[in-house]
Amino acid sequence: MKNTITVVVVSAIVLGILLLMGPFFIVEEGEQALVIRFGQIVQVETSAGLKFKMPLIDNVVVYSKKILPWDGEPQRVPTKENQFIWVDVTARWRIVDPKKFYSSITTMERAYSRLDDVIDSIVRTTIAGNFLREAVRSTNLINELKRTEYLASTEASQEDVENMRQMAEFTKTRVQQENIQKGRRALSEEMLQAAKQIVPDFGIDVIDIIIRQIRYSDDLTESVYNRMIKERNQIAQAYRSFGEGKKKEWLGKLENERRSILSRAYEESEKIKGEADALAARIYAEAYGRDPDFFEFWRSIESYRTVVPNFRKTLTTDMNYFKYLYSPGGR
Amino acid sequence: MPERNVTPPKMPFSLTPRTILIVVIVIVVVLIGMSSFFVVDQTEEAVVLRFGKFNRIVEAGLHFKLPFNIEKNYNVPTQVIQNMTFGFRTEKPGVTTVYSNKDFPQESIMLTGDLNIVDVEWIIQYRISDAKAWLFNIENHSKTIRDISQSVINQLVGDRGILDVLGPERNAIEVQGQEMMNEIFNSYKFGIRVTTVKLQNVVPPKGPVQDAFEDVNKSIQDMNRLINEGKEAYNKEIPKARGEAEQMIQIAKGYATERVNKARGDVARFDSVLTEYRRAPNTTRTRLYYEMIEDIFKNEKNVELIDKNLKNFLPLKNLTEGQGGTR
Repeated sequence: MKNTITVVVVSAIVLGILLLMGPFFIVEEGEQALVIRFGQIVQVETSAGLKFKMPLIDNVVVYSKKILPWDGEPQRVPTKENQFIWVDVTARWRIVDPKKFYSSITTMERAYSRLDDVIDSIVRTTIAGNFLREAVRSTNLINELKRTEYLASTEASQEDVENMRQMAEFTKTRVQQENIQKGRRALSEEMLQAAKQIVPDFGIDVIDIIIRQIRYSDDLTESVYNRMIKERNQIAQAYRSFGEGKKKEWLGKLENERRSILSRAYEESEKIKGEADALAARIYAEAYGRDPDFFEFWRSIESYRTVVPNFRKTLTTDMNYFKYLYSPGGR
Repeated sequence: MPERNVTPPKMPFSLTPRTILIVVIVIVVVLIGMSSFFVVDQTEEAVVLRFGKFNRIVEAGLHFKLPFNIEKNYNVPTQVIQNMTFGFRTEKPGVTTVYSNKDFPQESIMLTGDLNIVDVEWIIQYRISDAKAWLFNIENHSKTIRDISQSVINQLVGDRGILDVLGPERNAIEVQGQEMMNEIFNSYKFGIRVTTVKLQNVVPPKGPVQDAFEDVNKSIQDMNRLINEGKEAYNKEIPKARGEAEQMIQIAKGYATERVNKARGDVARFDSVLTEYRRAPNTTRTRLYYEMIEDIFKNEKNVELIDKNLKNFLPLKNLTEGQGGTR
């Protein structure tokens, strides 16, 4: 009794294992499989699930059904204007026809190397046939953006705003960029179409080819750096010189206002004095005019009083004052 | 201690086929049990395949599956926001996150639309939105995400001038970057959703170029300094000049008042004297004359008096006297 149970259990397990290993195989989601019998493809399984094969005779080759990445080495390519740039391209592809893939390529390594050949040459051709700007830009957005030198000032007073406006005029270095004809997206599409001409022979579909990065070659980088530096220096110079100019302007304004203030004050003070003088003259004239004869006398003695004490004096008895000096009866 | 000296205990029972069978059965049962249950964490969803074919998706908890790889489970962290950095790497996240000192120029150096070079670092965050698509549609997830993210940011930077990228267009790049990445990932049926694209350090290339850019900022400071210097000189002089002007005017006004008052005083005195004079002109005239002479001479000594009629009198006078003396 117990022996029977043992036998049943053991044989069930063995059978199970055999069943799993033998005529069945599993294709997982995201995979596809070929069943190969004596070098011939006898079965193509593209959907997931439990599949049958002849045990021991049939070989199963499994390929991915997923989207696969392809990443080439960056390439140094001249553009149409003969500038050397590094172009780094990636692509996505998938195996769409495993039968064709098996017969023409077989292994993934060979698939990658084939893609390297195809895409690298397409990239070369495409980049070399276009200007650099076509590969860098996708739209003409750059010519639509409002560009001003960014001034890092938040507390902008009326005057600052005016200064910034003047500066913006000054530093308007941004020339209009050449409009692009195609742009990066169109180039990607072009490359993709070119690749699609070739790869179906391998049972492959290329889903996209995109430019991941573009860099200047090293010697070009150096000269671009120099250009950028010069461009910035020029702007910095503009700011400084603008500041100098403004300072001079203020100094000029200072001189102008100082002179006009002082001269206006001079004018006014002279006017005030003149008016006072005139008034005084009128007052004098009015009063003195009442008796010019007496005024003359009065003014004379007043004047003598102030002036004569300063003289060294020698008198003669001739003066009227001494009329009675020699005789009480007078002269 | 006594335990150390105890000899190994004897096997409690002998190795019979029955025992072996029991042991085998127990092992098999345990194996089946172990391969029949799986745990799904709160952060995850699990995709269950039966014979490799998609069967169901289960949520967090303890779940049963058919043993012996008949059913297979793949746990996918669908609730976790995942992070990816470009141009820099986080070495040790923490209160003060440590960043790797290494640069990754092959990721961060880009060309701008005006054909300048800029160094852009950014991060993206994404969440797996469809576990099944994530597992079975794309090979090599992180590489694909990196490639697409890089390409998108490169493209957006390539569409703008360097000053736009450094300043006002940052936000637009982030927003459009997120849209474009999602669009591309959706076209692959990737099963992820990018939730954030954030630009980090966006700077001109290190070294002299960056210095030149900083120099522009410095030049703006210089400009403001110069303008302020001009204003300072202005503010130093002009209020003073205004004061000076006011002073001149005040002095003039003082002069005017004085002049007029004096005139009035003089006239008033003259008027009074004139009134008296008119009453007795001759007497007053004479009186005034003598008063004047007195006023002048009363304090004078050494005034010489010469009779006009004296003949041959020549006064000897030192003509230089009172002119600073002789040498």
